[in-house]
Amino acid sequence: MKQLDYDVVVIGGGPAGMAAALKANEKGATVAIIERNDELGGILNQCIHSGFGLSYFKQELTGPEYAELFINRVKDSDIDVYLNTMVIDLAPDHRITAVNQDGMLVLAAGAIVLAMGCRERTRGAIKIPGSRPAGVLTAGLAQRYVNIENRKPGERIVILGSGDIGLIMARRLTLEGMQVLGVYELMPYANGLYRNIKNCLDDFDIPLHLSTTVTNIIGYPHLEAVEVAKVDENFAVIDETREVIACDTLLLSIGLIPENELSQNSGVSLNPRTNGPLVDEELATDQPGIFACGNVLHVHDLVDNVTLEAEQAGTAAAVYALEQKAAVSENRPAENKATITISPGENVGYTVPAKLTIPPQKPIRILFRVRTPLDQAAVVIHTGTEIFYQGKVQAYKPSVMEAVALHPEELNRLNESDEPITVSVREVKK
Amino acid sequence: MNYYDVIIIGGGITGTAIAHELSKYKLTVALLERGSDIGIGATKGNGGVVHPGYDPTPGSLKAKINVCGANRYPQLARDLNFGIINPGIFVIGFSDADEAMLKHKLEFGIKNGVKDLAIIDAGQMRNREPQLATTARHALYAPTATVVDPFEVAIAFAENAKANGVEILTSQPVTAIKKRTDGNFLLNTPDQQFTCTYIVNAAGNHADDVARLAGIAEYQMKPRHGDLLVLDKDMVNKPKTVMFPCPGPDTKGIACIPTVHGNTIVGSTATMLDDKEAVNNYAPGIQALIDGVHKILPELDAAKIIRTFAGLRPVVLDNNNDFYIAESPTVKGFIHAAGIQSPGVASAPAIAELVRDLLDNAGLEMVPKADYNPYREKLTVFTELSLAEQDALINEHPAYGRIVCRCETVTEGEIIAAIHGAIPAHTLDAIKRRTRAGMGRCQGGFCQYKVIAILARELGLSADAICLEDAGSQLLCGAVKGGAK
Ligand SMILES: Cc1cc2nc3c(=O)[nH]c(=O)nc-3n(C[C@H](O)[C@H](O)[C@H](O)COP(=O)(O)OP(=O)(O)OC[C@H]3O[C@@H](n4cnc5c(N)ncnc54)[C@H](O)[C@@H]3O)c2cc1C
Ligand SMILES: Cc1cc2nc3c(=O)[nH]c(=O)nc-3n(C[C@H](O)[C@H](O)[C@H](O)COP(=O)(O)OP(=O)(O)OC[C@H]3O[C@@H](n4cnc5c(N)ncnc54)[C@H](O)[C@@H]3O)c2cc1C
Repeated sequence: MKQLDYDVVVIGGGPAGMAAALKANEKGATVAIIERNDELGGILNQCIHSGFGLSYFKQELTGPEYAELFINRVKDSDIDVYLNTMVIDLAPDHRITAVNQDGMLVLAAGAIVLAMGCRERTRGAIKIPGSRPAGVLTAGLAQRYVNIENRKPGERIVILGSGDIGLIMARRLTLEGMQVLGVYELMPYANGLYRNIKNCLDDFDIPLHLSTTVTNIIGYPHLEAVEVAKVDENFAVIDETREVIACDTLLLSIGLIPENELSQNSGVSLNPRTNGPLVDEELATDQPGIFACGNVLHVHDLVDNVTLEAEQAGTAAAVYALEQKAAVSENRPAENKATITISPGENVGYTVPAKLTIPPQKPIRILFRVRTPLDQAAVVIHTGTEIFYQGKVQAYKPSVMEAVALHPEELNRLNESDEPITVSVREVKK
Repeated sequence: MNYYDVIIIGGGITGTAIAHELSKYKLTVALLERGSDIGIGATKGNGGVVHPGYDPTPGSLKAKINVCGANRYPQLARDLNFGIINPGIFVIGFSDADEAMLKHKLEFGIKNGVKDLAIIDAGQMRNREPQLATTARHALYAPTATVVDPFEVAIAFAENAKANGVEILTSQPVTAIKKRTDGNFLLNTPDQQFTCTYIVNAAGNHADDVARLAGIAEYQMKPRHGDLLVLDKDMVNKPKTVMFPCPGPDTKGIACIPTVHGNTIVGSTATMLDDKEAVNNYAPGIQALIDGVHKILPELDAAKIIRTFAGLRPVVLDNNNDFYIAESPTVKGFIHAAGIQSPGVASAPAIAELVRDLLDNAGLEMVPKADYNPYREKLTVFTELSLAEQDALINEHPAYGRIVCRCETVTEGEIIAAIHGAIPAHTLDAIKRRTRAGMGRCQGGFCQYKVIAILARELGLSADAICLEDAGSQLLCGAVKGGAK
């Protein structure tokens, strides 16, 4: 059994893990990345389409190209990378248990960065009735089969859910000669990015059916058809619209869930709205010295945002670990931080961070998503009594993550009160 | 030709329990299962509760067999090394009428010989289950009740039977049965022929069809369908007790059931169907499950559902909801173990003993084997080992250091062992039942491609040939045009 010790251990070697590790390393910490796959890069390795890096690198890259740039930086650094190594336990005292084919590893860490990414919601989660045949799979798994394993999941494909992975796969499968019969979306609007609707469906004449869902799965042992139907504004199925569509594959692109089983082992509290850890403006969880970033924290649509967030987490983790070391050697007591909560208000689904240390020292960025599309609205940040930030009027979509940067001056008023603050997006009448 | 003293038709929990029982005697026995694996009929679609036996009417066949079967479980679990937990059962009353019903059940239970039953009040219930609905007033408490993983039990029975000489043959649907002039039976499957002196019909929902092959039309069967749900292990405030509401006339009601592996099952609905293959989930059934469990646990988080499934209880019509276990009066040597509706899991060990006695009465000589081995080794379960044991195992077999299923922490070593196990696993679901790879919250989203690759490699097949379960359930269909790699 191997025993190891690092200032910062990063769990997960996707774009989030690599960016966090690089920053922590830059700050002078000793760093390890633990990655369960046989290469770094995370989900990017199977995203062979382009559209990555537009804001961070100011150029359009494919997923593997974006990953490559970071993999090279990691190689050039003195970060220790453990591939084919899976973390199976994380204790509150930062003890990490991992496994690979050389045996068990126990790692001690001054600080930990959670960067485990997310998983896809499955058929069970939305309880689609019907038979349980082969031919029903998540879009990400199909992406893996087609892009990496070089295998087809079927010939005639129906896609449920208009998440980005489903949209990207609609195009990919079409290009590979499979027939994509349509994308069906329960909501009255698409869940994916506008550019993906345009480039992946419209350009290939793949129909998008809104307010429609799959109501039955037909065929055994292999899928033979699905029944689809329109739903009303309360999502109740409209019986007379039921229609059976012959197909051999149903792809599910019905949402992603942050992968937080390890976080929970370590005692980190989760935000029920994101299913990711509850973090403050430093991306610190409520377990001292454990930080989170990327899709494990909240689901991102753009990897560039993942990278920025991860750099912040990596920096904070290194600062924490190095300070703790110094504090121990100088016998200083640990500081106690006072925080206030940031909660989502009108039309807002969630915010990251969900708490803020007061008094604020540095500019902070609040990320949020709206719950429904709004044509004309403005973000308003307020306490129960006063508004201290008001954004420009713009259109909002649930598929787009929004950010507001606040400067300490704008937050100064918070010094005097410890009232929670709320982020709302209010409709503005034309 | 392949001659056996006894051929068992059907490899569910009933057939495998019988195989296990008969393997104790100097007999030649084969079990023929039509599916690609054993335990894939009703045995894979149920709640796994070892009902202690307060339900059946005293004096019925079911009453005797249920209690005796349930009592065998703790010892069987030790000998055959399968998982068992002892959560006990609450049958919960919400009204005065319910209380009368619970007293009635208590009486049944005592008459049937169930131990330690008691009626408890709301306070006693809430001590154990703080999340319980405030409307719950009293319960019949059966502290001895256990829960098992029913297909693990069937696999354990079959493996032990095999180790003691029984032949277990899968993908062998019996399609014809003839009684020859020498008194022996001739059985056909699509690719083999067998002869035997005795047949045990344990074909679940198809027992009447199998009987008809032998010219027997003593009974007719229909399935009673049930939907079930599985909830994530990480659900907060998981119930510790199996909790049923006071039952209706045809069903035990919607219960929450803690499982051997730390999940919670919600089951089951009960609807008579005509189609014996319709193991579907139905939207009203799923809703009924959610509504039903909320009557017991109002706070239970339906967002924690990771899977729905279903099963068909084999019901012999016009038989008072009882089992049908008897030698055919018209075709001697043909023994029925049919109509094994709920609680067939609980009853299986006793059904097997009864079938043994019926064979004995029918003239089969039962001589115990001196070298019978009652014990079964189970496959190594990586997560059950200590850190040092895990480390040592990996040093010896590096495949145990490669995690395939991340949700359930299943290693490649375990999957390889299952593929080459005593009853080999050649499909994705067979591997899932033995190792739990794909059973977790991502339902195989991350590991399916890896399991397919391991199966293809170990069996020398193309990935495109690998099936989910039954023949025809291939998961992939050829190479892509040639884009990637
Ligand atoms: C199909 C798809 C299409 C996309 N398209 C675009 C696009 O066009 N443009 C764009 O900018 N963005 C796109 N994105 C978004 C972006 O790529 C992701 O948000 C980003 O990859 C998330 O990074 P991450 O590091 O948080 O997670 P991941 O990339 O998922 O990395 C997490 C890593 O952690 C590892 N891990 C997890 N648990 C453990 C453990 N216990 N032990 C060891 N290792 C572990 C995993 O193996 C994985 O490598 C897309 C995403 C997907 C899924
Ligand atoms: C929803 C539900 C919940 C339940 N809950 C419980 C519970 O909590 N506790 C409990 O004790 N019981 C429960 N039961 C009942 C239990 O599942 C059954 O009683 C039991 O599984 C029956 O087992 P079996 O072996 O008789 O049938 P099966 O498991 O159906 O086995 C019959 C086998 O015969 C095979 N076969 C059929 N025809 C042929 C042929 N021609 N040739 C070869 N093989 C053939 C089939 O493939 C099948 O594998 C439940 C049942 C359901 C449906």
